[in-house]
Amino acid sequence: MHFIRVFQAGTLNAFADFAATYTVRTWTFAWLGRIIAQVVFFTLIGTLLGSPEQQRFLLVGAAVMAIVGEVLFACASSTWERRAGTLPLLVASPGSLLAVFAGRSIQWVPSSLATSSVCLLCVGPLFGVTWSVPSALLLVVVLFVTAATTYCFALVPGAAVLNAMDLRNIVANVIGALITAFCGAVVPVSFWPSWIGWAVNALPVTHGLRAVRELASGGFDVLPHLGYAVLTAAIWLVVAGWLLRRLAERGRRDGTIEFGD
Amino acid sequence: MIKQVAPAVEVTALRRVFAGGKGLRKRGPEHVALDGVDLVVDAGEVHGLLGPNGAGKTTLCKILSTVLLPSGGMAKVLGHDVVTHTAQVRTSMGIVFGGERGLYGRLTARQNLKFWGALHGLHGKQLRTRVDALLDRVGLRDRADDRVEAFSRGMKQRVHLARGMVGDPALLLLDEPTTGMDPVAAKDFRALVGELRAERRTVLITTHDMVEAEQVCDRVSLIDSGRILATESPNALSEWITRFERVDALVPPELVSRLRTLPGVGSVSTSDDGRTRFETTEEGVAAQLVRSLVEAGVTTVTTSKPSLEEVYLHVFGGNGMAVRR
Ligand SMILES: Nc1ncnc2c1ncn2[C@@H]1O[C@H](COP(=O)(O)OP(=O)(O)OP(=O)(O)O)[C@@H](O)[C@H]1O
Ligand SMILES: [Mg+2]
Repeated sequence: MHFIRVFQAGTLNAFADFAATYTVRTWTFAWLGRIIAQVVFFTLIGTLLGSPEQQRFLLVGAAVMAIVGEVLFACASSTWERRAGTLPLLVASPGSLLAVFAGRSIQWVPSSLATSSVCLLCVGPLFGVTWSVPSALLLVVVLFVTAATTYCFALVPGAAVLNAMDLRNIVANVIGALITAFCGAVVPVSFWPSWIGWAVNALPVTHGLRAVRELASGGFDVLPHLGYAVLTAAIWLVVAGWLLRRLAERGRRDGTIEFGD
Repeated sequence: MIKQVAPAVEVTALRRVFAGGKGLRKRGPEHVALDGVDLVVDAGEVHGLLGPNGAGKTTLCKILSTVLLPSGGMAKVLGHDVVTHTAQVRTSMGIVFGGERGLYGRLTARQNLKFWGALHGLHGKQLRTRVDALLDRVGLRDRADDRVEAFSRGMKQRVHLARGMVGDPALLLLDEPTTGMDPVAAKDFRALVGELRAERRTVLITTHDMVEAEQVCDRVSLIDSGRILATESPNALSEWITRFERVDALVPPELVSRLRTLPGVGSVSTSDDGRTRFETTEEGVAAQLVRSLVEAGVTTVTTSKPSLEEVYLHVFGGNGMAVRR
């Protein structure tokens, strides 16, 4: 219960930061516009290849990758905490660091849910990705689970860069690029050696993307994929909690948790 | 009213050593920040930790607040060991440090307090009531819903203090809480510390301002180079402050040599711009010096309070002047 309340308190910061970054207008025209352009760009590669099937494949992949790109901002927003100088106070408080950090960057989940939904539901039909009403409704649920579980994963690099703040953007970009390449967004996972296919199963987004593709192809068998996404996310969440505790313990030993400066 | 077990802070032979050098390979010589500190702070006491820069004040506060491990010795907060019983220590203690950091600038004052209140396990009506009471208390009721980033230094410091109090702590650690405050804000702040004492909360406050220590503390421990030199009453401090006053003036050389021999005049130095500084070592001598200078026709005379370093040098630094009781 305490964990949930601390998490909720952490979201105060998430939404305050979000409100400071975007207005409704800049979010709609700058951010959403940019994501749509990106998704259309990938989709047009399929069009150039002259294959409607490729076109649909790339559109779905690019829309889901937009979620990945955005929730990986958690790397940057985690470090905002350190910049605020609140880390010693957090460590010295009775609350859980994981709960604070899980709340801290949550803004990227609803935002990426919105962008990916618009891309799939509004832009998709222009390129042959169509939805029945039930599949459209289910799609939003699937995208939410995908964003939330991928966010749990993103907390791990977010926690890791707290001790290497300069690396926050590089880490986010490298991870984003690897996921785009290997998790089935641009080519099927089966294109890669089997060990890669095995490894990417550890990532919630791989399963989320499978669920979206299932819906896009007219099926409804998404539950197993969502189950795997939630399961892997739970494991990443535990890892993030462990990293944060380790950060605190290491800081206590070597004196890197600075007071006030 | 806070009920406490005595003592609130108990520190024995506490040491902290930092690895030398910067960067990944910490190879340089080790640096001893705390070198066998013994300290007892009684429940309900406002205890000052007075020391110059680098004395080890913040290091001690960090250890007490569980964000730094000691290299040796023992420290207990309200009877709980700060190394092994962190959970108990963390729930019963509030921390406030000076400066701009440690607040969420994009949140309002109220949201900041709500956040930290939630971390301390408060929720619902209890949280709202506590936050409102604290905002009232630190005089921020009218600005409660403004973002903290727009606040002045003094106002931010009040948010800090309220944040430190949100868990209703029996012990408050204040690490140089008045840094950067203007004199008026600092005065208000001291009044708030007085209220904490009235509630029988224990306060450990660090400072390098002798006047501040003298005004707010029940007892003051003097710390330097990681060691406690003495624990004194505020009276002793105020006596030192007057005894070691300084007098600065543009004085002709022959007058300097005459005044130099007066009893109670300590070191005398003349700077490049011709100004002479007399340091006194007895109470009342500064006033006498000023009189003699004015009588001799010297017009621009200023007196000033001694720096902490000067007092330390006089009291602990030897050269025969130390008068220890
Ligand atoms: N993380 C650290 N790594 C290495 N040395 C440190 C570290 N923290 C403090 N020190 C050293 O330990 C000594 C005591 O520092 P501390 O910050 O406790 O002093 P302080 O009394 O708080 O001084 P100030 O009045 O400047 O705040 C200093 O010499 C400082 O350089
Ligand atoms: Mg300090």
